[in-house]
Amino acid sequence: MAKKAKGKKPTFFVDPQVDKLMAIVMALAGEVSVLRERLDTVERLVENKGLLTRHEIEAYRPTEQAAEEREQWRSQYIARVLRVVHEELEAVERGETTPESYEAAVRVVSS
Amino acid sequence: MIYEQTQHEMLPRATHDEQARQNFVQSLKLHLATAVSPGNKVVYEKRARPRFEREHKRTPQDRHDVRRVMKDEPYYQTWSALLRTSQEMMWDSVATSVERQLPELITRAKANGKTSGSLTLNPSMPIPAYHTAVDIHCQPGAYHTETGADDVAAGAIYDRAVHIYAMGRMGPMNDDLGASLAAHVKQQYPNFRPSKVLDMGCSVGHSTIPYVDTYPNAEVYAIEIGAPMLRYAHARAEALGKRVHFSQQNAEHTNFTDGSFDLIVSHILLHETSSAAIRNIIRECHRLLKPGGMMLHVEVPQYHGMDPYASFILDWDTYNNNEPFWGTLHDMDLVELATGGGFAQETVIQTAIPSAFKMARSRTGLFQGGDFGGGGEWFVFGAVK
Repeated sequence: MAKKAKGKKPTFFVDPQVDKLMAIVMALAGEVSVLRERLDTVERLVENKGLLTRHEIEAYRPTEQAAEEREQWRSQYIARVLRVVHEELEAVERGETTPESYEAAVRVVSS
Repeated sequence: MIYEQTQHEMLPRATHDEQARQNFVQSLKLHLATAVSPGNKVVYEKRARPRFEREHKRTPQDRHDVRRVMKDEPYYQTWSALLRTSQEMMWDSVATSVERQLPELITRAKANGKTSGSLTLNPSMPIPAYHTAVDIHCQPGAYHTETGADDVAAGAIYDRAVHIYAMGRMGPMNDDLGASLAAHVKQQYPNFRPSKVLDMGCSVGHSTIPYVDTYPNAEVYAIEIGAPMLRYAHARAEALGKRVHFSQQNAEHTNFTDGSFDLIVSHILLHETSSAAIRNIIRECHRLLKPGGMMLHVEVPQYHGMDPYASFILDWDTYNNNEPFWGTLHDMDLVELATGGGFAQETVIQTAIPSAFKMARSRTGLFQGGDFGGGGEWFVFGAVK
């Protein structure tokens, strides 16, 4: 099965290597999420039953409540990983986007 | 709030890790749509538009002006790269799962394939250039690529991925587009009782099924260009106990006789065609409708009358998600399109209809910008013969 969709992949950053890095980082972020979800299953099973088999992990399906808790966790996790993006918006809102704005602070404390 | 997809008989099963991988993509998409994408508007108002006005001594006129200035904004670049990445991760997370279980899915599809509806494939039908030029919305292999005999992979991937793409907002059966339009038709035209219905570009038939439910006495037909989609669609409909006649046909030129249908519908089909094809499709609708019959096509709204930023963000898919006809379609004069196909101007319909899936969560009120269904309504273009 082909992995890549036919068609030139767009790049968005000045250096296309950054686009590649972004994809790699997000793949890692995804796998962390996958691990976390598996661990969550293990913890719940251990808690519920006191013993553990591979089959139990594979067969586990979250209850509505558990699925909701996982969704909450993922949402917070993604916000944490994307911290820099959210802070960028705050910087725009506060006008802290040029080196001069920081240099002004240097001048304030140095004078 | 998690919206689970109904695990019907044909839907691929996910292992624990596959499910978690798909959950991650869905949560990522929802976060981008609700918590990152709206920031683009802030960046536009605070930085990009003032910069454009300084450089050009005028305000941005259209989506092209906005795109020209936004493409240099780091926040927009990051969001774009994340959204594109989420789309690629979505297909990958589903395709690897489907590939693992493909032999079972093929067996299940065959076992299901012989009851109330029908499936007619035409292996000699040419796949149109607008489907082979690029893989539409980045699904590797698109609708038509077959990986082996009796392949259903593209359909199985699509059914699962659509639910992730829509972040569950198409409902547990992915049927919101069809359900919304069918409900609209029934409410708006209570005396209209179609005996034959055609769904054009049906993919896995997820939008087709609501017409079977809404008009139980009607014969429902559905056409699509991709054989793996159709095999899956047929098996899916049979598994759900819904009678649909599927055939592999290009909506530009079908083999149905003149005046065959009372109602012809399509659901986000038009933007996946071309300038030439869409004219053929509208002409074909006119030929296939009985006098008094109606064609109705669900789409996202046209750009006309939309502010430059809104049309810019809606247009992201044209350039960044392998939707090359998206922008051109949404700039077209639909009245001219309909009349060119033979419909009378006064019968042309252009209206917004509410989404039937009332539960949908955290809508941003936006159309697209990574927020499929975020508007809470769909645009309908149509005409009466």
